[in-house]
Amino acid sequence: MQTWNYIEYIAWGLSALLGLYLVVDWLRTDTTYSEDVLTSSREGELEAITEEHKG
Amino acid sequence: MADFDITSDKMDGMGPHGTKVGLLRVLGPAHVWALGVGIVLVGEYMGWNFAVGKGGAYAALIACWFAGILYTCVAMIDSEVTSTVAAAGGQYTQAKHIVGPLMAFNVGLYLTFAYTMLEAANAITAGYLISVVATMTGYDGVLDQRPFIILAILFLAWLNYRGVLATLTFNLVITAIAFAAIIIIFLSTSGVLGNGIVHHAELMAGQAALPYGWIGVLAALHFGLWYYLGIEGTTQAAEEVRSPARALPFGTLAGIMTLLIAATLTWYTCTGVLPWEYLGDGVNGSVAPLFDTARLSGSEALIWLLGIGTLFATLASANGCINDASRAWFAMGRDKYLPGWFGAVHPKYRTPYRSIIFLVPMALIFALGAPLDQVITFSILSGLLEYTFMPLNIIMFRKKWPMGTIKRGYEHPFHPIPAIALLALCSVTFFAVFLGYGTQLVAMIGFYILVSLWFHFWRYRFVNRGAQFTMPWPKPEGY
Amino acid sequence: MSRYVPPVQGKASQLFDVIVLVVMTLGALFVPLKMGLSGAAKTVAAPMENPTWEMLGQSPAQASAYEALGYTPESAHDLILARFDYSFTIGGLITMIVVILLYYVLMLKFSGTEYREVIAEKFDRR
Repeated sequence: MQTWNYIEYIAWGLSALLGLYLVVDWLRTDTTYSEDVLTSSREGELEAITEEHKG
Repeated sequence: MADFDITSDKMDGMGPHGTKVGLLRVLGPAHVWALGVGIVLVGEYMGWNFAVGKGGAYAALIACWFAGILYTCVAMIDSEVTSTVAAAGGQYTQAKHIVGPLMAFNVGLYLTFAYTMLEAANAITAGYLISVVATMTGYDGVLDQRPFIILAILFLAWLNYRGVLATLTFNLVITAIAFAAIIIIFLSTSGVLGNGIVHHAELMAGQAALPYGWIGVLAALHFGLWYYLGIEGTTQAAEEVRSPARALPFGTLAGIMTLLIAATLTWYTCTGVLPWEYLGDGVNGSVAPLFDTARLSGSEALIWLLGIGTLFATLASANGCINDASRAWFAMGRDKYLPGWFGAVHPKYRTPYRSIIFLVPMALIFALGAPLDQVITFSILSGLLEYTFMPLNIIMFRKKWPMGTIKRGYEHPFHPIPAIALLALCSVTFFAVFLGYGTQLVAMIGFYILVSLWFHFWRYRFVNRGAQFTMPWPKPEGY
Repeated sequence: MSRYVPPVQGKASQLFDVIVLVVMTLGALFVPLKMGLSGAAKTVAAPMENPTWEMLGQSPAQASAYEALGYTPESAHDLILARFDYSFTIGGLITMIVVILLYYVLMLKFSGTEYREVIAEKFDRR
C-alpha cells in the first residue's frame, strides 16, 4: 500500500505550508504596524465600552 | 465609595485608556459551551480509563462522581467570580484582583501548562488514531505518526490565528458530533435500541470488583479528574463574549451538566464491554476505550462513528487548549508579567497572535518528546494546583467584597460549603497523585517555587503597580 | 504614596527572560524523566507458565471478551497480571505535605505584600 506513504508526505507538506504562512504573516504584521498599536490592548477596556452603550 | 462611574469613559475606574486594537466581542453562550465541553470531551474518549487501571471499574465510577462533585464546585465558584471579573486570562485575572500578583503569575502558568500539555496529549492521540486507521485500511508498514501530530497542531494554531469566531464555531460543530457519538454508542450497546452487548455483572464479578481494595479507589481519583479537566477554561473567553455576565455562567454550568452525563454513559458503556485489565491499561491495552467498545460491537457503522468521534474530540480539545493557553499567556504579557512583546493583538484577525505562535513549538516539544501518561500527569498536576487556588480565591473574594458591595453576574449558593468541599477533594487528590507519581509532584512544585522566586525578585519590577488593578470596584475591605 | 514607574525592558532582556522560563519548564518535565524517577510502572508479581484463562482468573465472559479483542492467554498474560504497587513511606508522605504547604505559604505571603502595594497605589492616589 503506497497510498499511506503519499498521505505522510502530504501531511509533512501541509504542515510546512501552514507553518510558513504563520511565520510570514507574523513578520509582515510586525513590520507593517507600529509596536504601540499592536500592544495597545488594555484589560477591562472593552467591558467599559459595552457598558457605555447599554447605559 | 462612588468615586467611579461605569458609564463614563473618563471615570469608569478602569486602567489607562488607549486600546487601538483589542480582542473582538463576538461569542455567544453556545461558543462558551463548545469551548468548555470541547476541551474536556476528549477525556471520555481517552485517558479516563487509567482510573480503571488504578482501582478497577467500580473505583473508576466512584472517582468519576467524586471528581464530578469537585468540578461542580469549580464550575459554581468560577461562574461567580468570572461573571464579575470578565477579562481574558480568566483565573489569572481573578487572582490578580483578589489574591495578589505572585499568585496570579502562578495561576497563569498553571493554565498555560495544563492546556499546552493537554494539547500535546491530544495531538499524540490523533497521530495514534491515524495509524490505526492506516492499519485498518490495509497498510502493512509502520506509519510515521509525526507528520500527523505536527499537522494537527499547526492546523489548529492556524485556525486560532485567523480569528476566534471561526475557531469556536468549528469547535461547536465537532464537539456536538463527538457528544452525539457517545449517546449513540450508549443507546446501541446498552440494549435500549436493539440487542445490548453489555454484561457488567459477569465482567465485574469476583476479583474484578475492587482489585486493589479501597486504596485503589483513592488512587483512581488521580485520573478521575480527566473526565472533566479543562471545563474551567470557559473563563478565558471572557473578553470575547458579547455578554460575559450572562453567557459565562450559562455556558459553564450547561457544560458541566453535559460532562456529567457523558462521563457516566461512557463509564457504563465501556465497563460493560471491556474487561477491566484491558480497559485500564491506556498504553498497552485500550488507548481509545469508546473506539474499542465499538470494535467489539461488530457494527461497521459504529466503528467509523466512534473513530470519527475520537478524532473530532481530540481536535476540539487541542483547539480549545490553543485558544485558552494563548489567552492566558497574552494576558500575562499585556500586564508585563511576561515580556510585553506577547501582549500584542493582530490588527486584522484580532487574536493574540504572538502568543499563539510562541506556544506552537512548546506544544510540539511536549508532543514529540515525552510519553503520554507523563504529559497527562503534568497537565493534571497543573490543573490540581489551580483547583486548590480556587477555594482560597472565592473565600477571599467574599471577604474583601461582601455580597452587595459589587454587582455579581451570578452568585453561587451555600457559600462556603463548595469551597471547603473543593479544598477537601483537592487534598485527597494530591494523595492519589502521590501514590503513583510522588516524584513528579515534588519536582513540579519545586519548579513552581523556583519560578515564584524568579518572579518576585526579578520579573515583578517591570509591572505597573496600581494600574494592573483594572476592575471598577471599590477598595477591598480590610485594606 | 508615590507612583511606582517600572523600567522599560529592552528586546534582549525580554528574550533572555523567555529563555529562562522555557529552560525551567523543560527542566521540570524532562529531569525526572531522564533520571528514571517518573511514573508508577506496573509489574507482574508471579509470572505463570503456559497460562489458561482459568489460571489467569478469567470468567468465560471475560475470556470471550479478550478473544474478541484478539488476545490469547499467552499474549494477555502481562496485561492481566500486572499490578501497581501502592506502598509508600510515611516519610515520603510528610515530605510531600511539607513541600505543598511551604509552596502555598510562601506564595500567599509574597502575594499579600505585593497586593497591599497595588491597593495602596490604586486607591490612595486621590
